[in-house]
Amino acid sequence: MEYVNPLTGFRVDGRRPNEMRQLKAEVGVVARADGSALFEMGNTRVIAAVYGPREVQNKGQQVNSKEALVRCEYRMADFSTGDRRRKPKGDRRSTEISLVIRQTMEASILTHLMPHSQIDIFVQVLQADGGTRSACINAATLALADAGIPMRDIVTSCSSGYLCSTPLLDLNYIEDSAGGPDVTVGILAKMDKVTLLQMDAKLPMDTFETVMELAIEGCKAIANYIREVLLENTKRLECQRG
Amino acid sequence: MRDLQHSLNQTQRVRLDAALNELQTIAPSGASAAAVTVADTIPVNDEDNILKGHGTSDQDGEVVATLCGVVERVNKLVYVRTLRARYKPEVGDIIVGRVIEIAPKRWRLEINFSQDAVLMLSSMNLPDGIQRRRTAVDELNMRSIFEENDVICAEVRGFQHDGSLHLQARSQKYGKLERGQLLTVHAYLVKRRKQHFHHLEQYDVDLILGCNGFIWVGEHVVVGENTNMMEDKPSLSAEVENFTPLETRKHICRLANAVRVLSALGFTLTVELIIETAEASISSNVEINDMLGAEFYVQTAEREAKRRADLLKKKSGGR
Amino acid sequence: MEHQQRWRPTVNEREFIERALQSDLRVDGRRPFDFRRLKILFGREDGSAEVQLGDTRVMGYATAQLVQPYKDRPNEGSLAIFTEFSPMADPAFEPGRPGESAIELGRVIDRGLRESRAVDMESLCVVAGKHVWSIRVDLHILDNGGNLIDAANIAALAALSTFRRPECTVGGEDGQQVTIHDPEVRDPLPLTIHHLPIAVTFAYFGEGNIMVIDPTYKEEAVMGGRMTATINSNGDVCAIQKAGGEGVMSSVIMQCLRIASVKAADITSKIKNEVSTYTSAKALQKVKRLPATVPQKDNVPDVAMKESTDGALERQSTKASSDVRQISKEPLSIVKDNKQEDVEPMSTECNPEVKSKPRFTVGEPDETQGAISPKSLKDAVKPKHKRKKKQHNKN
Repeated sequence: MEYVNPLTGFRVDGRRPNEMRQLKAEVGVVARADGSALFEMGNTRVIAAVYGPREVQNKGQQVNSKEALVRCEYRMADFSTGDRRRKPKGDRRSTEISLVIRQTMEASILTHLMPHSQIDIFVQVLQADGGTRSACINAATLALADAGIPMRDIVTSCSSGYLCSTPLLDLNYIEDSAGGPDVTVGILAKMDKVTLLQMDAKLPMDTFETVMELAIEGCKAIANYIREVLLENTKRLECQRG
Repeated sequence: MRDLQHSLNQTQRVRLDAALNELQTIAPSGASAAAVTVADTIPVNDEDNILKGHGTSDQDGEVVATLCGVVERVNKLVYVRTLRARYKPEVGDIIVGRVIEIAPKRWRLEINFSQDAVLMLSSMNLPDGIQRRRTAVDELNMRSIFEENDVICAEVRGFQHDGSLHLQARSQKYGKLERGQLLTVHAYLVKRRKQHFHHLEQYDVDLILGCNGFIWVGEHVVVGENTNMMEDKPSLSAEVENFTPLETRKHICRLANAVRVLSALGFTLTVELIIETAEASISSNVEINDMLGAEFYVQTAEREAKRRADLLKKKSGGR
Repeated sequence: MEHQQRWRPTVNEREFIERALQSDLRVDGRRPFDFRRLKILFGREDGSAEVQLGDTRVMGYATAQLVQPYKDRPNEGSLAIFTEFSPMADPAFEPGRPGESAIELGRVIDRGLRESRAVDMESLCVVAGKHVWSIRVDLHILDNGGNLIDAANIAALAALSTFRRPECTVGGEDGQQVTIHDPEVRDPLPLTIHHLPIAVTFAYFGEGNIMVIDPTYKEEAVMGGRMTATINSNGDVCAIQKAGGEGVMSSVIMQCLRIASVKAADITSKIKNEVSTYTSAKALQKVKRLPATVPQKDNVPDVAMKESTDGALERQSTKASSDVRQISKEPLSIVKDNKQEDVEPMSTECNPEVKSKPRFTVGEPDETQGAISPKSLKDAVKPKHKRKKKQHNKN
């Protein structure tokens, strides 16, 4: 299948190889939660809710009481993919992604400022069109900032791939299931450090470097957008407060 | 609180946007300029003497914000004040909480904080009012004083070693709150004032603005009648006597809805504002349940915009 | 729940490990980019391997089953990895449902093997759309001494390299019936493995500045973050897993990948050597069985050997190029094993058997080690039993 048109250079959905899908973010969508956000990357929609810091529910889980306990749960809604899913929760992929998101956010949250407490991050995929992992991390960052949880830096994530000898930024579902390499990168935006890096399928090392650099560029663009959204939200709340 | 999701029609939306925009223009420009997000650099003049307060951290010699909020500078102290975060307690705050658990010699309360607060049995007045040492019998009868899910008003006494709060409820005005509504709003909407207990005589309603964002609107209780608490329970006729009249209940609901609307709009809660909103609803003949509707929501926003504009004119006119 | 009884380092140990790393010293005396001692042992059955990487012990076991293929891939077999974190390896592991790290390990190894197409799936197809072989690799952690991913990956590769699946023929009235042959009747076949993806794990300390390879249990408890890079000896990156943790610069990541490719080449050669030693030892066991059947006369065995070896070499040259897996039964299993090993592109262990060839056919392309050419024609026609002893000596 022709993922990149050789004549025009357009991809399956009309984007250029280094063009990201349209981003849309909304903060404060879940009323009950301390912080929440809705994040869209093209057709992928993800909602994140953060509860915390609050009292530790299960004392047995608390390893280090000098730091906050961070818990994360990733779920895909039954209706998120094309066919209705059979086993949406508890399957191995969801467990692994929950672990990945938790460790990525833990790298940024200043847990030692909130001892004896726990922070719960719940992420739910409402519509899946490729790049759900990245959208979840971006939504979680927004929700944590909305909840007023101190963080070292903004964590953003983006995916990229390599099809038809071209590095492509921000794969959608069709490109993702083409069987080519899929690289997901998560960075701490200001410090310019890579905290999440996952890759599957084979790539020679130099090509991998190009693809990874492209993903990092995408992450930085998302970080700018997230910063704007948060800044505007803060200004609005402050003005309304009076 | 965003639990009032309104379906605004076109005109209402336009009016709401206009009111909110006016609020933004009225707001002092310094406030919006000082807004920061996570990992923003905070401009600091003299680097060496600056005290880095909450919400800031030192990265490569620069002062970087770790929270989303507004930068406040007090002399040499620079800190970031958050908006939607949880309650930040200080000693002497009046708070309202809900009992979660009864533990040996203490009650655990949920307040809007990162840990549950603790109210010791010894920090609580005994029902018979005598000052004496708490015995084992008292400990077994803790449930007769407060049970799970009771709403309690107390004062912050101090912090424990692990950071959780220590409360005390020794005065007559503290204690169990009955016959009213408990509302949760964001903690930043309640500013610290001299008075948190308000008795609204025209409605015969008590209004307690807890610093943690828990607000109590309830029937007025005459302070000093607490000794009757023990005898309340058994007799049914006593319950019938203590029945709250319908008018008072209506007033309670009206005030509670006023609080809900104001917190949904994100306005700071003061007693005057709440009373004004409730009176505006009475004068414009809005039904109590309609107060949570779209029209009243927009009207309240417009009213507040006008009020602040007038205030600003008065200030600038007065100079 | 895994964290309940996880060993936690004391403040002293943590400081000691971190301080020592700042001077490039590791607590067990290794340099930062050294692997621990790697030992691969094989079990009695084909497809079982135990790997010891320092203190870490992992056992891998490969089995195969005929199943129906997936609907969207009707002519491909499947490969599945299952991990078992038994509590005997670490008191933090709980029996029953796999915890998060068990699932992560399974998925990392699965991605490295399956998505990079290390094992050829299409060769596992028997009847397209109906019957394919499904390979299942079970990894049991016997002892957790740190760096389970690398050890488990090597165990999986060793198990897959020595695994032999039963041969089956398609027959019957409609050509759909599959008969699986008993290993005693027909020798089982190896899997086609294109390349060996090796997992190399890095641990980061001190805000991403210091990194070490192959962390021990204690280093893992103290580390700030970890990254596992699965690379094969051609320098292709097969999979990377860095699930959060300490942030590192992208230049550091590329540096790690380059180091990893060097290490991967080392480990690949080690695995290949071990596998070849094992397979040749196994083949020799079969050879030992033969003296009862082969007659003791000198010439006849010569001729028989010669004919069969000639024929074998002929068939070898034709078959090696065409890469066909259907091998008909040979009278002498030495030769058959020989051919099987040649068919496997990765292994080069034809040594003991091929060694016997140059005595008869000089000038044949062979892969013998060194010059084992006979000193005189008399040596060349030594009796069979003496010849075998020489084979042993050479081994």
